[in-house]
Amino acid sequence: MKGFIALCKMELRLFTRDFFSFFFALVFPVLMLLLFGGIFGNEPVYEGANVRMMDVCVPAYCVMIIGVTSLMSLPLTLAGYKEKKIYKRFDATPAGKGNVMLAQVFVNVVMTLVGIFILLVAGAVLYHVRVKGTILPVSIGLSFSMAAMFSMGFLFTAVGWDVKSTSLLCYLFYFVMLFLSGATMPDMLFPDTVKTISGFLPMTYAVDLVQGVFAGDGLGLHGRELLVLGAVTVACGVAGAILYRRKDWT
Amino acid sequence: MAEEIVRVENLDLAYKNVHAVKGVSFSVKAGEIVAIIGQNGSGKTSTVECVEGLRKPDGGQIRVFNKDPWLRRGEVYKEMGVQLQEAEYPLKIRVEELCGLFASFYERPADWELLLAQMGLDEKRKRPVHKLSSGEKQRLSILLSLMGRPKLLVLDELTTGLDPEVRQNMWKSFGNIRKGGVAILMVSHYLDEVEVLSDKILYLEKGERQFFGTKQEFREYVKTRVPAGEWEETFSLEKLYLMITPKTAGLTMEGIL
Repeated sequence: MKGFIALCKMELRLFTRDFFSFFFALVFPVLMLLLFGGIFGNEPVYEGANVRMMDVCVPAYCVMIIGVTSLMSLPLTLAGYKEKKIYKRFDATPAGKGNVMLAQVFVNVVMTLVGIFILLVAGAVLYHVRVKGTILPVSIGLSFSMAAMFSMGFLFTAVGWDVKSTSLLCYLFYFVMLFLSGATMPDMLFPDTVKTISGFLPMTYAVDLVQGVFAGDGLGLHGRELLVLGAVTVACGVAGAILYRRKDWT
Repeated sequence: MAEEIVRVENLDLAYKNVHAVKGVSFSVKAGEIVAIIGQNGSGKTSTVECVEGLRKPDGGQIRVFNKDPWLRRGEVYKEMGVQLQEAEYPLKIRVEELCGLFASFYERPADWELLLAQMGLDEKRKRPVHKLSSGEKQRLSILLSLMGRPKLLVLDELTTGLDPEVRQNMWKSFGNIRKGGVAILMVSHYLDEVEVLSDKILYLEKGERQFFGTKQEFREYVKTRVPAGEWEETFSLEKLYLMITPKTAGLTMEGIL
């Protein structure tokens, strides 16, 4: 346990020293909030609508944070450790690579939650954004979204044979999903063709689910999203685990 | 009689198209230094990586502290320290952070602050590991291998990249460590190092054991394989090795000029 705590502390330190992860998980979403908040304010999405712009954007940005840690930060760290044989070095200690990976997942999950917390505080202070949902559906919504996104990231590291190929997969899926899932701008602004493409992206379901539970929807209203995200979690997790067993760690 | 720490019997290991280790057997006892020598690609690192539990053998049996290192790696590493041939550490981690981290893996870690000073790394403790010179990295790797106060040390190219003064210091240090009852299995291309440090030699060629025994026995082994006229009792270990190892073609000026 002492070793695992030390590994978590180390990974936390390294996370904060990595500009990309730190900036895009903790700072960039707040900048997005300021930018879009500055343009639209927290006014109704359209005239007469009872949904306000920032109430829609903040949960979407929460999913963007999940995307940064799960599809960029964690997979690229895993791929880098493997390629440089850092896991092999830890395998030659009582800790083993399993504990290092676990610490990396733990730290990325924690930093996701920290990023979401900072965003919610900024939203509340600057634009009076309120989370109307209760703790249980909000927690379940975030958990399902995180599980699906982290499973995808895990699968990419299993499919990629080196840092370059893993980066390619991660960048491709991250940016496509980021712009077409409603995580950066409300999907109600999308043309129909983009909406169709959006329907094939797991992040779209995460955005819909998180927006829904933040707005106070019960989980019963989001069965489809929960089902898709659950299926993505299981499929990517199992496929990733099978591929990982075939990897050469030496 | 000294306790047997490592026992390897008929070790076999193959990569895709290469049979890297073929039926190799040897043992290492407490307080003994066994050096594995042989050309590049002779299976030295593959052999020690199987002993370290980092590679699964295709055949044979390995026991380290009477345990299978592949199946019970976590337990074995409580008493085994390893210096890998090539070791990388997380980017941006500092020397003292890495030492503290490795110390946390053991119940009774070594006094790494003292080791840092003894290794001449005290002034580099705040420096990111990736900014150390290759010699400094090597010293850090050796330090980390000692972190758990091991009863078995596996050292793959112990003094590569070290300057002559530090090399000699290392020889002295590891000689003392051995006197404390620690078993050492080392891989080296430096035959002067092997001559000074080792009690026994395991000589591999193309993955096969050619010889395993004491230095004196190695001398006798070579003597029987060279013409009488070419033999001198004063030959160094390096000279002996060069007499029996397969020759590789050197560069000719034709290919360059």
